[in-house]
Amino acid sequence: MAVTLRKSIPHIVMIAYVVIILLPFVFILFSSLKVNNTEIATHPFGLPKTWEFGNYKEAWVKAKINVYFFNSLYLAFSAAVVGVLLSAATSYAITRMKFRRTSNGIYQFVLIGMLIPGNVLFIAQYLLVQKLGILDTHWSLFLPYTAGALPFSILLISAFMKSIPQELEEAAVVDGMNVFRMFFQIILPLTVPALVTVFIVNFLGNWNEYLLSFFFISKDALRTLPSGMVQFRDAFQTNYALVCTGIVFSVVPVLILYAFLQRKIIEGLTAGSLKG
Amino acid sequence: MKTTLKNPYVYLLFVVPTIVLYFLFFIYPMLTSVYYGFTNWNGLNTKDYIGFDNFVNAFKDADFRNSILNNVYILLFSCGVQVPLIVVFSLLISQMKRFQGFYKTTVFMPSILSTSVIGILWGYIYDPDVGLINNILKTFGMDPIYFLADTKWALVSILITNAWQWMGFYIVLILAAILSIPRDIDEAAMIDGATGVQRAWYLTVPLIKPIINVVIMLSIAGALRVVDIVLVMTGGGPVGSTEVMASYMVNKAIKFGDYGYGTALSIIIFIFALILTALYQILIVRRQEKVEY
Repeated sequence: MAVTLRKSIPHIVMIAYVVIILLPFVFILFSSLKVNNTEIATHPFGLPKTWEFGNYKEAWVKAKINVYFFNSLYLAFSAAVVGVLLSAATSYAITRMKFRRTSNGIYQFVLIGMLIPGNVLFIAQYLLVQKLGILDTHWSLFLPYTAGALPFSILLISAFMKSIPQELEEAAVVDGMNVFRMFFQIILPLTVPALVTVFIVNFLGNWNEYLLSFFFISKDALRTLPSGMVQFRDAFQTNYALVCTGIVFSVVPVLILYAFLQRKIIEGLTAGSLKG
Repeated sequence: MKTTLKNPYVYLLFVVPTIVLYFLFFIYPMLTSVYYGFTNWNGLNTKDYIGFDNFVNAFKDADFRNSILNNVYILLFSCGVQVPLIVVFSLLISQMKRFQGFYKTTVFMPSILSTSVIGILWGYIYDPDVGLINNILKTFGMDPIYFLADTKWALVSILITNAWQWMGFYIVLILAAILSIPRDIDEAAMIDGATGVQRAWYLTVPLIKPIINVVIMLSIAGALRVVDIVLVMTGGGPVGSTEVMASYMVNKAIKFGDYGYGTALSIIIFIFALILTALYQILIVRRQEKVEY
């Protein structure tokens, strides 16, 4: 008896922790389905009396969550893809091509970027995009997002490429392959695991980014989810059910991604912080 | 072989776009930050060189000093409260045979979500009328607490939300280190009759010290970097009680157009981060002997 009790204490502690993590989500989910504030206030914990899916339609179309959602989706996706391709090309050049000293210099130069915390550059980047005339366009997010991902991506991808045996390329050269085909048909396919990790980390980072997207974009139609949600909350402050619906919309896609790719995501994000 | 992999044009094609982008959005802003930091530029007038005035003014500025203090609170909380809890939780999970993966996945989950969405979500949990916590207090017959509007509670509320978001991330980091320790050490101690707590404290913790140091360093860096959550939940208020260095910097630059002063503040934040991590490295990490399994 004492033994089983002692064995179950850790589980009880952990279940309490899990409940603390999940409870806010459940609360938000239930609230999003309730009719109005009075129902939330009088029955905070219960299931909604009637399931009000109308909130979802209203938030999606009227409150423009759909606009924010697709802006986020395509910006996060395109910046992550371009970032991965650029980093892969550069990593290939500096690890596999025969320019040792230049490559080493470039590598060191790029890694300096990992020492600089993001928001230190915030004002200077704001002034830069202003000077480039791209403030209040998606370029003002796309370019910093892509650039911001480079140091970490190059670090991870080149570490991976270094471990690919030289003989493969020797054989390819003998067969008369040129550099581009070697890159696209031999090295890139072998690097896919690292590329996927880097892509996921960059995608999530861009999807969640708030500071730049809030201050670099002022047109409502161009906002992304994190900054749009804040705008949305300020506009609908008193309609809690609708705000909760908005939260559900921005959280669910990430959770679905996480459900399928949790091992990759955990591995990528922790690697990112450890190497940084 | 030589010619194919020594084609300088291809090399440039692969390297130059990255370098240009990186230079433009990392190196150039860093250089201009330093330059603007020494000017009185406010977006309208000419940029005049004013030496160290911005830096001197920053430390005379009572609001900025107040925000430094708030960063210190966050730092103390994350190193003094969060890190010990994180270690305890990771030890607990590492001992489990069942549901280990489930706990790991669940506690990690908040750290993949947007800080701004979490800020909104928790703002709602803290809400005085319909919020989860005040509803619980109400069932016990207590008065609602205005968590985010009360100067006594606002910072604490943000600290709790921040801990809620990031603890799981560090737990997973430490858990991975614990699970990579060879089992036989633990088993030998078990045969010798060491209890679970003894094994955790005398065996596991010393072995994972390097990763605990990493977590402390990341917490220091994270505490100085806090900004999104403050901007979303309180905007620095009420009356500056949650203002942190970075949010103060953003407000100064964007709302008041004080670019010169704002960039000087950002350089101060950067220097603080460098000094603190360097100090921690020299004082703590170097003194500990290297651990080998």
